[in-house]
Amino acid sequence: MTDRLRVTIPDLPLTVQPAPADVAGFAHVGRGESVRPLPSTAEDRSEGRTRLEVVVGGWRFEATVESAARAELRDRAARDAAAHHRVADLTLRAQIPGRVVKLWVADGEQVEAGQRLLAIEAMKMENEIRAPHAGTVKEIKVDVGALVERNDELLTVS
Amino acid sequence: MSLRKDRRHASATKPFERLLIANRGEIAVRIIRACRELGIESIAVYSDADADAVHVRAADRAVRIGPAAAAESYLRVDAILAAAAQERAQAIHPGYGFLSEQAALADACSAAGIVFVGPGHETLVSLGNKLAARHRASAAGVPVVPGTFEPLPVGSRADKERIKAEAAGVGFPVLVKASAGGGGRGMRRVDDLAELMDAVASAAREAAAAFGDGSVYLERYVERARHVEVQLLGDSQGTIVALGERDCSTQRRHQKLVEEAPAPGLSETQRRALHDLGVKVARTVGLRNAATAEFLLTPDGEFWFLEVNARLQVEHGVTELVADLDLVHEQLWIAAGVPLSQRAIAAAAAAATPQRHAIEVRLSAEDPAHDFGPTPGVLTAWATPAGPGVRVDAGVEEGSAVSPNYDPLLAKLMVVAEDRPRAIARLRRALDEFVIGGVQTTLPFHRWLVDQRGFAQASDLSTDYVARNWRPVEVVAVAALRATELAAIAIRDRTVTSNEATPSANGHGAPAWWRAGVVEGTENRR
Repeated sequence: MTDRLRVTIPDLPLTVQPAPADVAGFAHVGRGESVRPLPSTAEDRSEGRTRLEVVVGGWRFEATVESAARAELRDRAARDAAAHHRVADLTLRAQIPGRVVKLWVADGEQVEAGQRLLAIEAMKMENEIRAPHAGTVKEIKVDVGALVERNDELLTVS
Repeated sequence: MSLRKDRRHASATKPFERLLIANRGEIAVRIIRACRELGIESIAVYSDADADAVHVRAADRAVRIGPAAAAESYLRVDAILAAAAQERAQAIHPGYGFLSEQAALADACSAAGIVFVGPGHETLVSLGNKLAARHRASAAGVPVVPGTFEPLPVGSRADKERIKAEAAGVGFPVLVKASAGGGGRGMRRVDDLAELMDAVASAAREAAAAFGDGSVYLERYVERARHVEVQLLGDSQGTIVALGERDCSTQRRHQKLVEEAPAPGLSETQRRALHDLGVKVARTVGLRNAATAEFLLTPDGEFWFLEVNARLQVEHGVTELVADLDLVHEQLWIAAGVPLSQRAIAAAAAAATPQRHAIEVRLSAEDPAHDFGPTPGVLTAWATPAGPGVRVDAGVEEGSAVSPNYDPLLAKLMVVAEDRPRAIARLRRALDEFVIGGVQTTLPFHRWLVDQRGFAQASDLSTDYVARNWRPVEVVAVAALRATELAAIAIRDRTVTSNEATPSANGHGAPAWWRAGVVEGTENRR
């Protein structure tokens, strides 16, 4: 493959686009390092993306690799579309499965950035969810005592 | 009939015929191994979440005891007793956590004529409760951490003014602790009065959820203190010995991450004094079986009693490696009424002059880059280190699901060597050999720790070391950049394509590109 690549680690976020010459200089897998394929979605396949789990020194990353040229085309299309509307609301989702043990806010309440919103208990530990920015709480989807799965919607801060 | 005859005949060679293990995960596997070695039939119990768990398959038999939630399975005394009766178990080993320090299980056992592998009712009541233990130790002349001796008035009879006055009397920073607590649960550090009531309420809530008892009390938070603890064993003839101490100072949020034996830097005199304090506490409650007395070692060199854990401790393995003793074997013989072995007594006599050093690190399903938050998932890869001086006690294997319902501890990596520097070198080597996929674990934290001066030279061992020094952002960034390189190589070399990117959960079914060796893990080492 002589294409330029784009490698993205979305959680960080981190995107690099090494040229083929760069890749040629990279050291191969060493101690404490491993690369494993991750299950691909239909969207990954249609977009020509490959998802990999890469472990470096015990840190686990989910990397997406695709053709840089193709990714740049998509970026341009997305920028054009974004010019038409802006997203102001942020819907918070559960990062871990667990039980909602505390809800400090009510629908319509004004919150400041960093203010405690709710607590989820998982593995017997309470994990506090805080407001990512100042705004109004709306669409609270959970009650105290509710069991949530990873990625379940919790509430929206607009 | 013949079974009964066999049992009588065999009573000299094994403590029991059949033992039920009222636990899960690595500690259940650990106890099952001891059963195998002693010729005891092992009976596991499991919740619906654990039907396919390692401990279930490791045991000779297994009994379902309820749904995934611990409160409906591993914490149900009636379900466990029913399983024991059904399988005709003669004894129950509770492991640690769950019901291990609940007098309810020990009481139910004695009512059913089953041996509880642990202390008696009296001991559990007076030691299992941290406040009662403070009273006992203090009365026996053992120095305790300054703090309150009665539960705080929280809940329906809340008295905010009194709580505030108590805290002011102890002095900030103060620790809110659960009487029934353990493993850092129901514990909060409070730096000033403004945070106090919130911390007390949430600690009480967490304690009530985790232990069914929301009582909390206050203890002074000692800055730069070390956590040291004494391993104790007592038999039913009244002999009590200390088998050396452990240093468990490397903690985060009051949960231990690393434990080692012996505690670095103590003189023989200090060791003897510490061991004597431990035995003294144990005597006041007539300890039988295994327990651990925990102390703070203040920067001034004083030992202040914290609490006693009247059970097998997670970190018992480092003591086993240094003392060359199997504590679970000892526990089972003691439970069967046999006096402490000569081996145990000799190990106690040598405990103040240890000749080896052992270190344990806890591999948990937690993300050290995100405040050690839980990371449940499926372990798509799991290969443990081996070789000289390495021991891994694991409760998982490749393909295991890590459930959010239980403690996130997956495995304990232990190393032993002639001295501490060699043990650290061995630990570094073993950590490099560990391969874990699918779930973020505490592995990278431990790799970082072994290279830190404060830890490697034992010059800065204290319970707040991690809070003061662990700054994962840069460590993660360096690793992430390297990860992008590895991902690029894998794709450039067409070692994986999107269409074949569905790994088998089983290592034997590794995809062809992996076996082809292009991104094979050992390539650089050949």
